[in-house]
Amino acid sequence: MGSPIHTTVDRRIATGSPRVKVRRLRGGTWPYAFIFPMIVCLGLVFAYPLITVVRNSVYTSSMGETTFSGLENYRSLLQDPVFMTSLFNSLKLLVVVPVVTVVAVLIALMLYEGTKGWRAYRITVFVPYIIPATAIGISFSYLLQENGIVNIALRRISLGFLAQDWIGNSNIVLFSVGGLLVWTQLGFGVIVFTASLLSLPKELSEAAAIDGATRWQTNRLVVLPQIRGTVEFFLVLQAIQVIAWTFPYVYILTHGGPGNASSVMDLYVWRYAFQYSSPGLSSAAAVVLLLLAGVLIAIYTRLRMKQGER
Amino acid sequence: MHDVWRSKRRLAIASAAAVLALILSACSGPSGQNPQASGDPYTGSLTYWFWGESDVPGSTNWMQAAVSRYEALHPGIHIQVVPQATQTLQGAFQTAAQAKSGPDIAMQWATLPVLTPAWRGQITPLTGLIPESELSQWPNTQENTYDGKVWAMPLYLLGVPFVWNKDLFAKAGLDSTHGPQTWDELLADCAKLKAAGITPIMAGDKDGAFGSWFQSVVGTQTLDSVQELQAVYAGKADFSDPKYSGYLTRLAELRDKGYLSSDIASVESTEAWQSFAQGKGAMTWATDGNVAAWVKQGLGPKLGVQKTPQIATGKLAQYYDATQSISAFITSWSSQKAQAAAFLTWLHTSENMTNWYTTTGAFPADKRFDPSAITDPVMTQLYKLDTLPNQLWAENYAPPQVDDQGLRTVAQALLAGSTSASDATSQIAGIIKAWQTQQPDDFKTYSKWAAG
Amino acid sequence: MSRRIKIGSLIKHAFLVLVCVASIYPIWFILQTSVKTNAEYMLSPIGLPIHSTPSNYVQVIRSMPVPRWAWNSFVVTLISATLSTAIALPAGYAFAFGRFRGRSALFNSNIAFMVVPPVALLAPIFTLMVNMHLINRLPSVIIFYVGLFLPFSVFFITNFMRTIPVELLDAARVDGLSPFGTLRRIVAPLTSPALFTLMLVNIIYGWNELLIALVFLQDDRSRTLMAGLSVFQGRYVTQQPLVMAGSFLSVVPILLLYTFGQRFFVRGLTAGIGK
Repeated sequence: MGSPIHTTVDRRIATGSPRVKVRRLRGGTWPYAFIFPMIVCLGLVFAYPLITVVRNSVYTSSMGETTFSGLENYRSLLQDPVFMTSLFNSLKLLVVVPVVTVVAVLIALMLYEGTKGWRAYRITVFVPYIIPATAIGISFSYLLQENGIVNIALRRISLGFLAQDWIGNSNIVLFSVGGLLVWTQLGFGVIVFTASLLSLPKELSEAAAIDGATRWQTNRLVVLPQIRGTVEFFLVLQAIQVIAWTFPYVYILTHGGPGNASSVMDLYVWRYAFQYSSPGLSSAAAVVLLLLAGVLIAIYTRLRMKQGER
Repeated sequence: MHDVWRSKRRLAIASAAAVLALILSACSGPSGQNPQASGDPYTGSLTYWFWGESDVPGSTNWMQAAVSRYEALHPGIHIQVVPQATQTLQGAFQTAAQAKSGPDIAMQWATLPVLTPAWRGQITPLTGLIPESELSQWPNTQENTYDGKVWAMPLYLLGVPFVWNKDLFAKAGLDSTHGPQTWDELLADCAKLKAAGITPIMAGDKDGAFGSWFQSVVGTQTLDSVQELQAVYAGKADFSDPKYSGYLTRLAELRDKGYLSSDIASVESTEAWQSFAQGKGAMTWATDGNVAAWVKQGLGPKLGVQKTPQIATGKLAQYYDATQSISAFITSWSSQKAQAAAFLTWLHTSENMTNWYTTTGAFPADKRFDPSAITDPVMTQLYKLDTLPNQLWAENYAPPQVDDQGLRTVAQALLAGSTSASDATSQIAGIIKAWQTQQPDDFKTYSKWAAG
Repeated sequence: MSRRIKIGSLIKHAFLVLVCVASIYPIWFILQTSVKTNAEYMLSPIGLPIHSTPSNYVQVIRSMPVPRWAWNSFVVTLISATLSTAIALPAGYAFAFGRFRGRSALFNSNIAFMVVPPVALLAPIFTLMVNMHLINRLPSVIIFYVGLFLPFSVFFITNFMRTIPVELLDAARVDGLSPFGTLRRIVAPLTSPALFTLMLVNIIYGWNELLIALVFLQDDRSRTLMAGLSVFQGRYVTQQPLVMAGSFLSVVPILLLYTFGQRFFVRGLTAGIGK
């Protein structure tokens, strides 16, 4: 370790915050050794496949030969009704994001106000988040059948008119998938927002209460703006989850059906790569999916930067 | 502080050792393929991807038992039977084919589902591996013949009869001794059943099978020959011609009149057959194997079986809907082709085929089978139907991608209520064109094969 | 006045209880159905089981190689989580306390990688594994998982380490400790709650993962539990109690982990994210 140690004192004082950040960073060769395994892994698992996918999307193969075909695959995608359906379905599912966020914030507010036994509620609500999607999908696929548990229960309490073919009706199957996503993600939101709320200084809320504000006004005008950063972070995380991480739920619950009504982007990419042996189309769809995720990340980075300026 | 650190350190070292042990065990795990194949066809380790339970309940157990018998006869051989799921049967095989790793013996449905992998070089022909004396005992090998070679082996003979529940017919005031003979009679019977509060047609389409089957049992009755059927995939005819797509209108009619079971879109075929056996629906299309299982449960006297009602007047309307269905083949990447061939040859011996019949009740695909062994009246009727001179299962002539995306998926959308028959027609026509563009090699070979 | 508060409080509790019941019921349904016989389930799908029987569990273990699948899942999950955490630890230290060229670029790339959908990486890595003859062998999935866990792991550890008081590091430097020594002796022990949480998160991710396991491990001997369960369901779809028994078996380890570890979960997640 013979290299000289460079010290840089970086002093940042955030106004109003009691914390003073002082970071002394050490230079030298040791960081390169520390990050080397990480670079190898990320290179193998991320960089190489990403480059390959982009490359494959502009080639078509026939008779074992691959030829450069430019945007041909993308054109085929636009003409493939299954792709368009999958794309729109993924986008439609984004509705889940505000729903989860709003409900999670509401519940977090309820728990934060010191409801008795709030810890127990929080623990329980989190359970769906960690249960394997496969088991959940199996359970719901029986619960949501036309003559499944949910409908039987509705009929028994005379709410039979609400009973639908939740996964067999192509008009509402996406709604059911969305509902499943809300059910799974809610607990995560509750945990995140409760933590955020609990870390807020109490003085502001107390001041507002002294000024005569009602609970609701306090929440709306004082508390919520303070957790805005967390809410934005959560929104983006959920959006990405919905666009790109729904495969196990859709695969198990509906297999994309009925008739592609619940097909989503990641299901499409998998299917065309591994079931229909169309590597060009599948890669092009994967690139579209990456672009979508990229847009969301760009939005988040913008928000982070804005927050950093505050 | 120091003690805490030391004990944490010990824990860390112990965990690291455990992880290392796990890593070693993972790396030495089986790879699913024995790279060293000995010359002896009775020594080795085979993986057999099996499917059959939906066609013939009990077939998986039969296969496991057969494998055990074979292993007892030849202790040097070990065969692992891996049951496949219907919805992923074709897809999982394609994935394995791309990996060139996985099964030595696999199964696909006859004709196109077998020929497509054959054309792609994923299958080894059985002609040459299995003695001609045995091959000649297999009926209907033309279903899997290409380029003068037989590519897959049949296990059983499967008809798709139209089945009705005699008790429920009687309850609705219908003559329970015979089923509907025409489309109009079918509609009239459905109306009477519905009026009596009985589900007229019990079916499950979550796996897409019913919509695709409808093309085979009803749709092709307008055609005159197999060549005419092949023409629509070979690009010589258009699917929007009503003689090809008319069945979608009839399917929509059944849907709109409420003659199909209400949960058809959210239950699978096997679940619907289970409901049928419980008397929850009056009519269905089932397989010989399922009827055999019902007969074994004692439901024989309640069941009426017949050919599908005559809907149209094409020559194919006289054909019976039957096929060898799932066919077994040897993969091209297998390093134990001799072992696999030896097993398949043994599997198809007369002794085993008779055992198949007595265990499952379904008819074996064996020319040596003695029909006098059939005692049940319902099964006798089915056997007569299965041995009619002309047989066709149209679904087998559709390229797998067209079947999966078009015949199955689009019909599924239709049954789920959102698509009209004309929309479904144009969608399927579009999917056929898409297949022709996306898989040009398969399309070329298909046209060549169809031209004879 | 107090009456209004009481009613409001009652409604609040009722709502929360409803949410909790909705959260738990589908999982309870799995357990409840798994101890019924097929016949009993047909008669009374909703009701509580009258005669609980473990026969479905016995059949599950006998009819499909479920123990083998569970073992594969266990091996893959544990090794991937451990390796990933072990690689992320020094990397996090370098990001938090080190200065090197490309640091912020690499860190930002890392964040970007966190949101890459695994399905986009699937086909190229599949081809890679085919060529390396690793398909149907556990290391193929392990390698992929280690890579997948890394971005979040590094992000999480880096953020946590940034909260460590710098005085400790200065003291270590004064004592003449190298960066590696500082990591080993001072920082790693302090990071252990975060490491623990991270292991939990990664273990759950790995255990629950379906897509990659489905594609890479098709051999029954190397299949993981989740992939096997999906095949299992396809095969036995008409026997709900049997399928539920299999499903519940896959849920048990997670439930156990959660019961004993939920404190770390909540604490860890809130520490890393709640800022």
